[in-house]
Amino acid sequence: MFSVKPPKPTFRCYLPPQQTGIKKPPLTTPKKLEAKLLPGEIVVNEVNFVRKCIASDTSQQDLWGKLVCTNFKISFITDDVMHHVKFQYKSFLLGEHDIPLTCIEQIVTVNDAKRKQKVLISNQKLKFNPTELIIYCKDFRIVRFRFDEAGPESAKKVCLAIAHYSQPADLQLLFGFEYVARVYYNSGNKVNCVDPGGGGLEKKSLCEQTPLFDKPSDWDREIKRTGASEWRVCSINEGYKISPNLSEYFVVPVSLADQDLRQFSQFFTGFRIPLWCWNHSNGSALVRMASIKDVMQQRKLDQRVCAAITRSHPNRSDVYKSDLDKSLPSIQDIQTAFTKLRQASVIDPFEESEERWLSSIENSRWLEYVRCCLKHAAELVYMLEGKRVSVILQEEEDRDLSCLISSLIQVMLDPHFRSIAGFQSLLQKEWVMAGYRFLDRCNHLKKSDKEESPLFLLFLDCVWQLLVQYPAAFEFTETFLTVLGDSLWLSIFSTFLFNCPQQQDEHCREFVKSRSISCGDEKPLRFPPVWDWSQQFSEKDQALFNNPLYVGKSASCVQNGAVKSFKRTKKNYSCTLRGTSSLKNGLLSEPEFMPRRNSLVLRLKADFSHVRDAPDSPSEQFFCEWFSKPADLQGLLLPQLLPSHIKLWKLYFLRWVPEVQINMGGPVTAFHKMSVLADEIEMLQQRLRQYKGVGSLSAGTPEAHQSRMFFRASNLSDSSPMPEYLTSSFPFSPVGNLCKRSILGTPLSKFLGGTKIWISTETLASEAMA
Amino acid sequence: MEKSESSESLGSKLSSSRQASIDSLSSSSTSRSDRSFHLRSNTCKSPELRVLGDSNNWADLEEPQLLPNESLKETVKDVTYICPFMGMIRGTLTVTNYRLFFKRVEKDSAFVLDVPLGVISRIEKAGGALSRGEVSYVLVCKDIRNLKFAHKQDTQGRTSVFETVMKLAFPVSHNLQVFAYEYGQIYPENGWKVYDPSAEYKRMGLPNESWRMTRINEHYELCDTYPVMLLVPANIPDEDLKRVATFRAKNRIPVLSWIHPESQATVVRCSQPMVGANGKRSKDDEKYLQAIMDANAQSHKLFIFDARPSVNAVANKTKGGGFESEDAYQNAELVFLDIHNIHVMRESLRKLKEVVYPNIEESHWLSNLESTHWLEHIKLILAGALRIADKVESGKTSVVIHCSDGWDRTAQLTSLAMLMLDGHYRTVRGFQVLIEKEWLTFGHRFQMRIGHGDKNHSDADRSPVFLQFIDCVWQLTRQFPAAFEFNEFFLITILDHLYSCLFGTFLCNSEQQRIKEGLQKKTVSLWSYINSHLEEFLNPLYVNYSHHVLYPVVSMRHLELWVGYYIRWNPRMRLQEPIHHCYKELLLKRAELKKKVEELQRELISRSASSSSERAASPTRSVTPVQTFV
Repeated sequence: MFSVKPPKPTFRCYLPPQQTGIKKPPLTTPKKLEAKLLPGEIVVNEVNFVRKCIASDTSQQDLWGKLVCTNFKISFITDDVMHHVKFQYKSFLLGEHDIPLTCIEQIVTVNDAKRKQKVLISNQKLKFNPTELIIYCKDFRIVRFRFDEAGPESAKKVCLAIAHYSQPADLQLLFGFEYVARVYYNSGNKVNCVDPGGGGLEKKSLCEQTPLFDKPSDWDREIKRTGASEWRVCSINEGYKISPNLSEYFVVPVSLADQDLRQFSQFFTGFRIPLWCWNHSNGSALVRMASIKDVMQQRKLDQRVCAAITRSHPNRSDVYKSDLDKSLPSIQDIQTAFTKLRQASVIDPFEESEERWLSSIENSRWLEYVRCCLKHAAELVYMLEGKRVSVILQEEEDRDLSCLISSLIQVMLDPHFRSIAGFQSLLQKEWVMAGYRFLDRCNHLKKSDKEESPLFLLFLDCVWQLLVQYPAAFEFTETFLTVLGDSLWLSIFSTFLFNCPQQQDEHCREFVKSRSISCGDEKPLRFPPVWDWSQQFSEKDQALFNNPLYVGKSASCVQNGAVKSFKRTKKNYSCTLRGTSSLKNGLLSEPEFMPRRNSLVLRLKADFSHVRDAPDSPSEQFFCEWFSKPADLQGLLLPQLLPSHIKLWKLYFLRWVPEVQINMGGPVTAFHKMSVLADEIEMLQQRLRQYKGVGSLSAGTPEAHQSRMFFRASNLSDSSPMPEYLTSSFPFSPVGNLCKRSILGTPLSKFLGGTKIWISTETLASEAMA
Repeated sequence: MEKSESSESLGSKLSSSRQASIDSLSSSSTSRSDRSFHLRSNTCKSPELRVLGDSNNWADLEEPQLLPNESLKETVKDVTYICPFMGMIRGTLTVTNYRLFFKRVEKDSAFVLDVPLGVISRIEKAGGALSRGEVSYVLVCKDIRNLKFAHKQDTQGRTSVFETVMKLAFPVSHNLQVFAYEYGQIYPENGWKVYDPSAEYKRMGLPNESWRMTRINEHYELCDTYPVMLLVPANIPDEDLKRVATFRAKNRIPVLSWIHPESQATVVRCSQPMVGANGKRSKDDEKYLQAIMDANAQSHKLFIFDARPSVNAVANKTKGGGFESEDAYQNAELVFLDIHNIHVMRESLRKLKEVVYPNIEESHWLSNLESTHWLEHIKLILAGALRIADKVESGKTSVVIHCSDGWDRTAQLTSLAMLMLDGHYRTVRGFQVLIEKEWLTFGHRFQMRIGHGDKNHSDADRSPVFLQFIDCVWQLTRQFPAAFEFNEFFLITILDHLYSCLFGTFLCNSEQQRIKEGLQKKTVSLWSYINSHLEEFLNPLYVNYSHHVLYPVVSMRHLELWVGYYIRWNPRMRLQEPIHHCYKELLLKRAELKKKVEELQRELISRSASSSSERAASPTRSVTPVQTFV
């Protein structure tokens, strides 16, 4: 996925090849083109003289090489040099042309002479020799290989191997099992959060700061952090004795005894007892709950649960229940929206879809669902914050929409979850441990399309919208969110591989038994979480996750040996630059570089109810009131929700489309400038600390500046020139993806009966059946 | 200078109210005007008090603070402003010779409407009065909003205040002058000096051996909609120019707008050739274009970009116009850019206003937006400019651009292409030069397109051509957030004063008219105001990479509706927490840190110098001054 080679060539040194016609394969057999293999990875099949299509309008830039299928990935190995900007970012697990098998959405083989094409499914026969292989990826890439010069039989075998290995019959056949057993058990390495970089001597690594919530102590700390004094950790599900899809430890009202809970559990879908998620400092709690199966018990049980939650509230205030199944789109609706969005973004021909772009985005309904989720979460934020009542999220199984809504609510209310470690712990708490079915929803085993739904991506998109609206409120960047979304398709991490913790435990135990692996300490095999980012990226590349605006803002200043926060400065700033109101022309929105809310507007807003014919709902009033004040980035954040506020997440959805890439432009150019500034601030602070600590100029050598920024202030020159490789797709690159047209191959539309669509999931699926 | 002389005489009258007048500039239509001046004029010590004090002042303010030479015309109490967002607001309406000022009655609430009369497009008596004896009026504005008022009908039968507004808002229709001729503000900067044609051509290395400056239009005899100073191929004598002029619509001959500093490829603008239905040819015109091509040794081709759809270009033949045939103009290639005419654009903006004002329909926002075709038109204009820029930069080929008359679409295309090609135009002053040059001196008919002070709102000559240009510029700033020295507020300010009639910049239709009217003497330039308050209009993220050509991606995937302009009246469409704001905060923080580090360094130096003399050598090593960053 990310380049292995150093990202040397920039488009400046790119010169269009002079020769015309099709590039010929190298005369000699490519020697020593070996796939880089991870521990436990084996080559299943391979074919030489394969051409990877690079540009959509010419075959001159195509690369010749070897296509390899392993039990982990499809790898394309080449000696040819890419004359293009590639990723500014490399993965330790994948090379630049690699696709993990779990990332494959669909495999299409084509024979253009025979005008045949077929979607390959495991254990199927292929009656023709493919001249072309197209891989549709879950991360929206479309990669295309041609076999014009390759051995027909070998090409066919590789295609079949890819089809077979990308659709494993069993969970334990996923590469992660083999890999984790090799890496973490055979070599005697420690489990979880191995930190090979060893960078954080004084500072704990991000992963170590991220509680996994698989231990009672993690929950205890969270209870203390949020001040939820009337709640306790419950361990009745130890060994999954009560519910198979709940975590072993969770939090319940103090007033409910284990005995009661055991009794209640049988009436809930999936034996899922109501779970505590989070506590507001005003005492109101956020709770999630599955539906009550037994209609007879419904009322009684409901009352018991609500009463217990009320009792855990310092003011004994009411409980507000929100039925998510009724208020939000279903997971199938979301999947449909996603499919349509994919169609519009990467499958429909670029030029033809331009004219109808806006309406096709609208028709996909994806943005509508993003807005809907944000809106619903904001309404519930009002209940918790404004009305100070506890909220129960109820969903049939409590394993899908409640993950999304509960985490969104917490991101809005609690600044802790807007830090990287906090955000990671939130995902751990509300998704992984709460039993979100990553395995089924990602469809890693390609077992059932009906279960597939991009709910997690929808959540990331919602967070992205907040990040765009409040760019300095989050410690992470949109690159972090994108990479996190991509990590879904690497079958190596505990985070995204299982339906629930119990499933992980069970399969790990079985696997260990079947392989007679000795894990010592009688502990089962444990997968590492994705949070140990050093598994994938270097320290330097991980710096892309850090938001310069957040880092710079939160930076503190050492004064008289004590760390002093910068609040005063901020206040000064707000007075000098904010100035008077710009309440002109009845215009309430504030100028761009001015605070958007101030005392004048507040007054006006407070008058809203007198003026309007139909008074706003209380929640709307609450929002108005909130928006009339300056946003405290360390406090509550509410999303702005007009349809014109909700944007398409271009980095995620359009990064692979070559036509959309802006060279030397896009948000990254601003990011570059901000990073350099944040880096300077950090350097100055470090110097201050040094002077303070040392007390004298001469003692000690200056410690090396450890930057948290990807782009750094250069010490030598006054200005840091903008790197020429910056594009709107940064740090990704669309080169080599989405090659919809090929000079050589017959355009597929020809044998799709003149349809405009390159290839649609539906058509292919039905053809495959036939 | 001319200005300062004339205002000197006013000075005696104004001197006492100078301070106040600076303050009151904030009541220009600019949405977020000059709060810093309020601050400056205030004497309170604590910043908190300052803000508070100021807002109190404001709440007490019954009437607007008047600009120099602004005078009260009428004040009416008990007027209702029917706000589409907040409902009924009772207040007092004040009308001056410059603005309409509405202030809510309740003392503790500061609701103010401050509308320059210039933005009013038409005033209509509206039906459906609120209660008996009330009349209501709708003020349809050029800046994408409508204002609805109601008030009691006067029992004495006196005319409504809105009858007065109708007179004052359309002075031109009543043989009066717009307010710009009276406005007497003096600014430290003189915006009329921003554009000096010979200095600008000199910057481009002109004249040179291939291009000469001609004075043939000194008295606007060759072409009354062109400026005095024109650059033409060196080997074409003035006599030939006259003959070429007869073959070009409105005598707008091809003249140089921009030259590539390295390749010498040029951007040349003109009007359509008068080919007519019979396919007339002009040897002089053909020779002239050949000369333009020859002036660029790098290429043996010339591209002619006709901004129109080819159908329209063909249709123009019946009216005597048309386009260059490739038979007649050897080595020239003609390209149509499919940009529609002013009427289509006007209609598109009308639809857009319906979609965005007052409220957005939640469920069909994007398809409604699509149905206005506004972004599609923006896309075509940008795409055309991009093709031109690419031909000049990558193809090293000279280009000739025209539409029909060469003052609407042509101005859009040349100025946008130049903005992409030349980093100078992406600075504040460079952009002002660009507008002065490509729009004002080359005769974009601002008076006709905007209809300053003219009540004839349905005039077919009105069109948002300049608005589209500014929108395109905004789109570029979105794609290249660090490439422009100015910010969004700068663009909005330009648009607000396009209509306000406070400044003389956008009055009249041509350079000739402006000279005749003596605008430089009688009015203030918008650039005087902007350049005197530059700080407000700067983009903190600006990186000066002037040699870099911008290639925007002209795709619907990237084009966005400029909500900060078109939807700014909707209180729910708040601007999102802007990055610029955060960035400025960081800049201040850096400055403070730098100061602290320097203080500490000084302190340590003096301490170590006094405490130990044997270590005297060490400070020189480690006391290298703090790195001065950008």
